[in-house]
Amino acid sequence: MVAAGGASAVLLELGLVLLVLAVVGRGAARVGLPSIPLYLLAGLAMGNGGLVPLDASDEFIRVGADVGVVLLLLLLGLEYTGAELRDGLRSNWPSGTVDLVLGVAPGLVTGWLFGWGLTGAVALAGITYISSSGIIAKLLDELDRIPNRETPVVLSVLVMEDLAMAAFLPILGVLLAGAGLLEGSLTVAAAVAAVTLALFASIRWGRHVSSLIAAGSNELLLLSLLGVTFLVAGVAERVQVSSAVGAFLIGVAVSGTVAEAGRRVLTPLRDVFGGLFFVFFGLQVDPASLPPFLGAALLLGLVSGVAKVGTGWWAARRAGIGRRGRLRAGLSLVPRGEFSIVIGGLAVAAGVDSDLGALTAAYVMVMAVAGSLLMRYADSIPLPSAR
Amino acid sequence: MDVFESRLPGVGVRYDFTTAAGQQLGVVVRRDGVREVALYDSDDPDRSRASVTVSEAEAAVLVDLLGGSKLTERLADLRHEVEGLSIEWVTMRNGVGLAGRTIGDGRIRTDTGASVVAVVRGSTSVPGPGPEFRFEAGDVVLVIGTAAAVGAASAVLSG
Repeated sequence: MVAAGGASAVLLELGLVLLVLAVVGRGAARVGLPSIPLYLLAGLAMGNGGLVPLDASDEFIRVGADVGVVLLLLLLGLEYTGAELRDGLRSNWPSGTVDLVLGVAPGLVTGWLFGWGLTGAVALAGITYISSSGIIAKLLDELDRIPNRETPVVLSVLVMEDLAMAAFLPILGVLLAGAGLLEGSLTVAAAVAAVTLALFASIRWGRHVSSLIAAGSNELLLLSLLGVTFLVAGVAERVQVSSAVGAFLIGVAVSGTVAEAGRRVLTPLRDVFGGLFFVFFGLQVDPASLPPFLGAALLLGLVSGVAKVGTGWWAARRAGIGRRGRLRAGLSLVPRGEFSIVIGGLAVAAGVDSDLGALTAAYVMVMAVAGSLLMRYADSIPLPSAR
Repeated sequence: MDVFESRLPGVGVRYDFTTAAGQQLGVVVRRDGVREVALYDSDDPDRSRASVTVSEAEAAVLVDLLGGSKLTERLADLRHEVEGLSIEWVTMRNGVGLAGRTIGDGRIRTDTGASVVAVVRGSTSVPGPGPEFRFEAGDVVLVIGTAAAVGAASAVLSG
């Protein structure tokens, strides 16, 4: 839209993008919807074939999107302490396994039906599996459901999903890089070893790792934490484990007061760069390619949504929760968001069928909106009385 | 009485118990120290019907009011014995009033006639603090005197 290049054009376009995000974000908050689907729409509108094409700031948004992915995963790792992850693994593996099987199956089958090959099917499996802990945690808080008895069930399923992400991302990375069987299994083994080591380090020496990064001021903490994270993410990317995994590991390894302070100072930064990432993903999808996938996204959403409700219902029943609570737990697992887009973004960047990007965008928009509405009105849904 | 503990990964811990009258009461302690007290629905016992969010300092006052210490009992007795006695809890806020300064700096007794009889800080309480006692943000200060004196003193304290 601005013909002349240079810094002024980049700043103009960047300002425009951020302002559009601010406006749609406000609109979303007013009607009680999550902002992610609207950020995606904004990206679609501004991308190739969209209403307002962006040229000058393309490079900056690309780098910003990479930073956004790293920050999203770093904060995911910071969210839970090593001990919480360990306890989750110990006591919640049955519901975690059911969630994994029911969550992965719809994506795997759909990817296979579309003929996107093993890599595309595995990527789509991850996209339908991973719930949006961002949307869910925010809504649980907003709807005053934190003290509810089914909430620990929901949160522990999310913990298991996050752990699964740490194993899933390296596998996807290897598939996307098209590595051979031997090289691939070596990389996966190295990644799994690194995840285990980071967990162990966090539980055993969490205080020491944290004291290395701890600093007297927010400024120094921010610089140290970001420096370490970008370095490790870069190394991970170099050895084809994906920068996202490296960032997640740093988040897991850091604990205690540093994690607390890190969450506080990094959240605003994550929101800015995460927003750029969602826009960037939308930019890559041609709006014209979206409509044919709406039907598929709705159907996939219905199947994977029912699977999540089933998972939540089952897990809550195991925990002795009543029928109302089981329904709330199930519906609370429906929203998909940031991490589905992270997976879709990795796949599209590596050159998997660009239709996967269109389906991911449509699917996340459907599931973020429908999931939030279902969570909000969970108690108004009639339940047939128990026999 | 059995108190059950449930972990809330990423949030904190929830404790709950059933009172003798059969009501369900829960307390969520968040990682940042904020507490939530919740009452459960009798039709849907998994759902919190209402909840109150209190800060760490407010929780300390609440515990005191619920009879966690002798202070509250004595205050109640005092109120019965002395006609016209006024009692007020003042919370110190960062950067305003006497926060960061001492009781002596505020000349509370000299200027207003009210007395600072105790300060609750986090989970500890300081009964009868001297003039050299320095207030911090978040302190909850117990002031006693006539209604007018207490009003003037709380204005000095909270700025």
